[in-house]
Amino acid sequence: MGNVMSASFATECTPLKGKYDKCFNDWYSEKFLKGESIENECQTEWYEYMECVQASLVKQGIKPALDEARKEAPFENDGKPVEP
Amino acid sequence: MRLFHNQHVFDYSWDYITAANWKKYPNEVSTHVVAVDVLRRELDISGKVLTSERLITCKQSVPQWVMMLVGGSNISYVREVSVVDLNEKSLILRSCNLTGSSLLKVYETVKYMPHPDDPQNRTLFKQEAQITAYATFTKVCNKIEEWSVNRFHENAEKGKRGFDSVLKVLDESWKQTDKIMDGLAEKVDETVVDIKKTTDILIKETEKKSSKLASYYQYFSNAFRRSNDMTRDGS
Repeated sequence: MGNVMSASFATECTPLKGKYDKCFNDWYSEKFLKGESIENECQTEWYEYMECVQASLVKQGIKPALDEARKEAPFENDGKPVEP
Repeated sequence: MRLFHNQHVFDYSWDYITAANWKKYPNEVSTHVVAVDVLRRELDISGKVLTSERLITCKQSVPQWVMMLVGGSNISYVREVSVVDLNEKSLILRSCNLTGSSLLKVYETVKYMPHPDDPQNRTLFKQEAQITAYATFTKVCNKIEEWSVNRFHENAEKGKRGFDSVLKVLDESWKQTDKIMDGLAEKVDETVVDIKKTTDILIKETEKKSSKLASYYQYFSNAFRRSNDMTRDGS
């Protein structure tokens, strides 16, 4: 496992992503995999990171294609395509 | 539509593999993956199923004709939804390209599960891709045509501008020639006028002189006539 954190698609979000990733990876290994997790932790880091991501998705014009893909293969359907 | 299958065994535990999945990039092989972002993440009420939506950003040196088809950027995005299920001991990742999806769609499904023969130490990897090209030959042709027309437009514009500049230079030199010719004509005109003037003066002078002569002649002839008369009278 590499220690280098991957960058965010939006450079301005990379530091926030780094903080969140660190928190998440610890939670994943230490709690989730051991079945000790009852909630999705790292909420503070998550919201800060998400605020940046949401704004950048719009700014960089990725949102329309993303929304289209979400309609085709919803999160709720585990990313499986639904027939139109 | 085409299908692609691939299978592989990793000599690591399923736990380790799934934890590594979140740290997969950057790595020195997949250098085309430049960023990975989580867009949505939910843990089910049991705390055993984790669903994540990620945006994978790729930067690839793409052949020129592909760039032309997908819109001229070497950055492309892939959306992935993954489910880690502790009950099933499975990690399933489903992804599809966001960029260029009107021409080509690649649905990829990757499954990681503990290897049936050695579930503690080995993990089975199964990959399946469904590739659908929406680009009919006509569509590609249209795109090429559109590009060609644009290119032609550009070149035509360049050609026109080039010719314009040549025309401008020529026109200027022509104007210069015209000016010289005009100057010459003016000079000729002036000379003609001068000649005319001189001639007029000469003619007038001659006329004056001849009329003077004529009046002298009158004088002399009168004088002669008178003297003749006098001689005749005196004898």
